[in-house]
Amino acid sequence: MRRLREHGLAVSFTALLVGALVGEAFAGRADYNDQAADAGLPVLGMLQYLTSAHFAADVAENWQSEYLQFTVFILLTVWLVQRGSPESKPLDKAGAESDEEQKVGPHATRDSPAWARLGGWRTRVYSHSLGLVMTLFFLGSWLAQFVAGRAAYNADQLKDLQAPLGWGEYALAPDFWNRTLQNWQSEFLAVASMVVLSIYLRERGSPESKPVGEPHDSTGVEG
Amino acid sequence: MEEGAAGDSARRFVTAQVQDAASACALLAPKTLQEVEADGHCAAVLGDGAPAAVPRLESVEVYGTNAIARFDADTVFLARFRDGWRVTAAHCRPDGPQRPYQCEIQAG
Repeated sequence: MRRLREHGLAVSFTALLVGALVGEAFAGRADYNDQAADAGLPVLGMLQYLTSAHFAADVAENWQSEYLQFTVFILLTVWLVQRGSPESKPLDKAGAESDEEQKVGPHATRDSPAWARLGGWRTRVYSHSLGLVMTLFFLGSWLAQFVAGRAAYNADQLKDLQAPLGWGEYALAPDFWNRTLQNWQSEFLAVASMVVLSIYLRERGSPESKPVGEPHDSTGVEG
Repeated sequence: MEEGAAGDSARRFVTAQVQDAASACALLAPKTLQEVEADGHCAAVLGDGAPAAVPRLESVEVYGTNAIARFDADTVFLARFRDGWRVTAAHCRPDGPQRPYQCEIQAG
């Protein structure tokens, strides 16, 4: 029970992810089948829908934008600061910071991760491992959106008695960029809202907020 | 694999149309068959529009449960139903980029 409490965030968000995916599967299949039945075309069973390009494209287009949001946030907050926001470092800390502040090489402690202690390429790689892995997840899910999105788009083209698009044509197609950019804009809006609103508003007890009584211009202070 | 099955159904349809229009009707998707029969008996309608010779299959593309089969003198659209690939539209010709094909046989 203590173990579960100590991992409450990861467990809860994984459960929410699974619940939302299950809901998306049922709603997405019903929507797909409504349209197919109207057109006199074959409807899909649940397994067929879960392995379809339509489901894969819908999932991947949201995943890529979420990974992009957090990747950009992680990387930009190294260099950019925001006065008054708990999402920002203190104003004089912009940049990669010193080895001492980052506890790498000779400044590592006994409990530091091994690659932070070792120095050389391993410490350089480990120093950027979060950004690197998040970037790979973003690129992987964006590629998955591209591949599945083209297959789903071409299936719809064929239903409408239109010619399917090749890879190059789909890379320039409005469908690909509309799917991509409509998700990006909402992610950037959410980050901008959180960065700015957290200057003036509080959520007592949340580490994403400053303490309730903290002045508006305090920067880099979390509750 | 699906390309092969869709291509087989398309080839059987265009061959049957030339040789035995009644069996071509059995390869139409339900809504397409309904539309064809609105113009008369299916075998007669398909027989009237049949090409003089069986066209040669050039390519097949499959996306999900939909396919396009291109012949040298015809284009056929198909969908995969529980009992296999059925023709949703035939005797189709392109009508410009990003425009639907113009099809003599189609649903709706």
